[in-house]
Amino acid sequence: MSSELSHERVHYLDHLRALAMLAGVLFHAALAYSPLMSGYFPTADRQNSPWVDAVVWGSHLVRMPLFFLIAGFSAAWMLERRGAGGLFRQRMRRIALPLVVAWPLVHWALSASTVWAARSVENPSAVLALVRYLTELPDPPSAPITLAHLWFLYYLLLFTVLHWAFRTLGLARYGERAIRGAAAWVLLGLPLLVAPALATVSAPHPAPESPLPQFWAIAFYGAFFALGAFVHGAPDWLTRARALAPWLIVGCCALYAAFLWRLDAEPPGEAHPSASWTVALLEAFLSVWLTVLCLLAGQRLLQRPSATLQYLARSSYWVYLLHLPILFALQYALMDFELAWPLKFALAGAGTLALCLLSYHLLVARTPLRRFVG
Amino acid sequence: MKLNLPLVRLLVVKDWQLFQKQLATYVLAGIVALCFLGLAESWAFYVGSLMLLIVMVAAACFSISTSLVVERKEQTLSFVMSLPVSPLDFTISKLAGNLITFAVPFVILLGGTLATVLLTPLPDGLFVYALLIFAYILFAFAISLSVAMSVESEGWATFAMIGSMVLINPYIMALAQIPDIDQRTRVDAVVWTLPAVGILISLVVLSIAVLGATTWFHARKPAFN
Amino acid sequence: MSFAFSLNGVAKRYPHFELQDITLALPEGQVMGLVGVNGAGKTTLLRLITGIAAADAGEVRVLGHRLPAEQVAAKREIGFASEDMRLYRTQTLRWHMDLMQQIYPAWSEDYARELAKRFDLRTDQALGGCSHGQRVKALLLLCLARRPRLLLLDEPTTGLDPVARIEVLEALADVLRDAGRSVLFSSHNTHDVEQLADTITFLHKGRLVASADRNEFIDRWRRIVCQGALPSGLSAWPEIASARANGSLVEIKARAWNESLPARLAAEGLQVQRTDAMGLEDIFITAVRSGGAA
Repeated sequence: MSSELSHERVHYLDHLRALAMLAGVLFHAALAYSPLMSGYFPTADRQNSPWVDAVVWGSHLVRMPLFFLIAGFSAAWMLERRGAGGLFRQRMRRIALPLVVAWPLVHWALSASTVWAARSVENPSAVLALVRYLTELPDPPSAPITLAHLWFLYYLLLFTVLHWAFRTLGLARYGERAIRGAAAWVLLGLPLLVAPALATVSAPHPAPESPLPQFWAIAFYGAFFALGAFVHGAPDWLTRARALAPWLIVGCCALYAAFLWRLDAEPPGEAHPSASWTVALLEAFLSVWLTVLCLLAGQRLLQRPSATLQYLARSSYWVYLLHLPILFALQYALMDFELAWPLKFALAGAGTLALCLLSYHLLVARTPLRRFVG
Repeated sequence: MKLNLPLVRLLVVKDWQLFQKQLATYVLAGIVALCFLGLAESWAFYVGSLMLLIVMVAAACFSISTSLVVERKEQTLSFVMSLPVSPLDFTISKLAGNLITFAVPFVILLGGTLATVLLTPLPDGLFVYALLIFAYILFAFAISLSVAMSVESEGWATFAMIGSMVLINPYIMALAQIPDIDQRTRVDAVVWTLPAVGILISLVVLSIAVLGATTWFHARKPAFN
Repeated sequence: MSFAFSLNGVAKRYPHFELQDITLALPEGQVMGLVGVNGAGKTTLLRLITGIAAADAGEVRVLGHRLPAEQVAAKREIGFASEDMRLYRTQTLRWHMDLMQQIYPAWSEDYARELAKRFDLRTDQALGGCSHGQRVKALLLLCLARRPRLLLLDEPTTGLDPVARIEVLEALADVLRDAGRSVLFSSHNTHDVEQLADTITFLHKGRLVASADRNEFIDRWRRIVCQGALPSGLSAWPEIASARANGSLVEIKARAWNESLPARLAAEGLQVQRTDAMGLEDIFITAVRSGGAA
């Protein structure tokens, strides 16, 4: 397995990354029906269900950590194969350039659809109502500059730079030593390292959308990126971790129940601007353990080449870049319809995925664009 | 004499490799400084901007020091001169390497500061003032780089670096004495006054002229000495 | 005959030193030893030949290139190492080798590895932790593995311990077997020069004192011990470089020995007791002290 992980394309990681990105589309679609987010999410619908909260926050704790873990693994893999220059050029072409091009377009599309919805929708969310109030002021403030869902590209660039800086200064050796020890050390130590970061922000943790980097996001997602890079250097770590998988599954079930209970008791808001230490610790352990379990499951179930998964893997980057403006536009349009929320969720989710995949097929799959976002 | 671009590139990369441990430290410090700005607290804003300023000045000075002063002091310069490079290649590589090392944090800091001024409740009049401060830093860097490229004495090169950067204090005090500049910093609008534009253009033109003259002087030499 | 380098009436002025009217050439494939005391102008001469310094007067041509205008083309075929040249202390020899490999198309990685083994150099060690001898050998490795047509070495053995000195000299002796390569190396150690050079050039106070084939030097110079009184005017003879009396013994050093000299000395009342060949160091010191052409 060692040689397989070090030198060959690791299919299950590509497939896992694709699934994590597609889960992101469904996650954003589901937030419209989350009771917890009803006051904060622009597309929040009149209808919502606690079942949504019961499911989405679990995926929220694993989706992006898993993505950054795979990104760290890929960065170390590429560094080994193509050197620092190759990694830098690849990051410029596939991350920096798409970010620079997509950011203004996404910002414009989201602002335009939100302002349109604020003016037109008869049953607006709390956020839309606020936007409507602000836009009707004589001197309306401009929309805040955020990275929206593209923050992950910004942090990928940041982690590439940090990866280089840590390697140059020889600081990576502490992590390399930890990963060579018993798997339990990382599984118990990493949550304790990231918990303070999660304790500084509300629970469930927000998206770090600010154009300025956030300490907590660097510590939290950076830890997963680093774990991915270290696992590349010590691929037998996963084999050692696999022995602990049954314990992790039991632990995750118990911790997730506790997390949902605490979330109900301490909902995000003015009373709880940041997570309590208990919730932060629960989030930290769940993120690390669920992410490792996903990785182990992927290794067992997704390594075989599959045409469907490979197509999804190729298209997932484009789909993720494009999905939010389309999803918001569809959900704004669906807001006034008298339909059950599961149907609205299915329509918005399926419609977004269909439009994104269609555009991938027409604009990217067979054009030079695939070198950048394919 | 024809410029040998692949070799210039190699020399720039070589200087960066020699400087990369320091550069990595500055990059880490720069990211920490940006994170402080990202906390959106007034104390963090001052800590972050001060840190960024220190990082930028330190990176510029140490880049000049490593690539020019230390190379001369540790006698590695004669090794570089023995390679198939002309004085033109050598001069351009030193200029390009140092300019890029300086420009990356400079542009991030300048862009970040201007965006902060325009997008936060800070008075927009600070936009012009911030540009005047940055123009001075550019000028001080141009002087430091030119002196380090032109003199053989480590003492003079260090004096030029420290001296030019320290003079920012009297410069800021002098700006405070000009009503057309000082009073506009409290106004929530970007206003271009004659003294501000005059100083800005003078500093930028002088910076370019100093670097241009130094490059021209060294690049036209037939041999290193 | 094609020349590795040729200097014609070359002069170079510095505030406290002047190199004057140097006319010198090295045929391709030959080894020239440049002998002179510290400050004689050896380093300046080598810098002119590498194109690092520009002559104030005269013409410098190296491997068919006019210097300093065509210094880049010339330096591609030159390997230059000088005593005051240092490598980067924070970097490894491997890093330097990679840099050279990117610059010189003729770089031979196999030869570099062979030299590293021969010099007992660790390529992964930062040079800051190496001894002076190791650093000199590293510099020599970097020069040799680029397979230069002209090798210029300024005091390559200065400051080396005896073992390192022998290793360097042996490596140089191997290099010199390559008939196509020309070498100019300077030294104030005449023993090293005597071992390696085909041609020897003496430099003193910025002037060329002598330049000739090594055997010619040895053949021409003689130390003659005579019995009798030192006749006045003997030092003015063009073939006599020095003459001094010690009691009734007179020691004469001749710069142009010929078979008729004993008879001419006898005519001046001096009976030749012994005639010895002179070592290069002795020749050099005598030539420098006499001030005339050797």
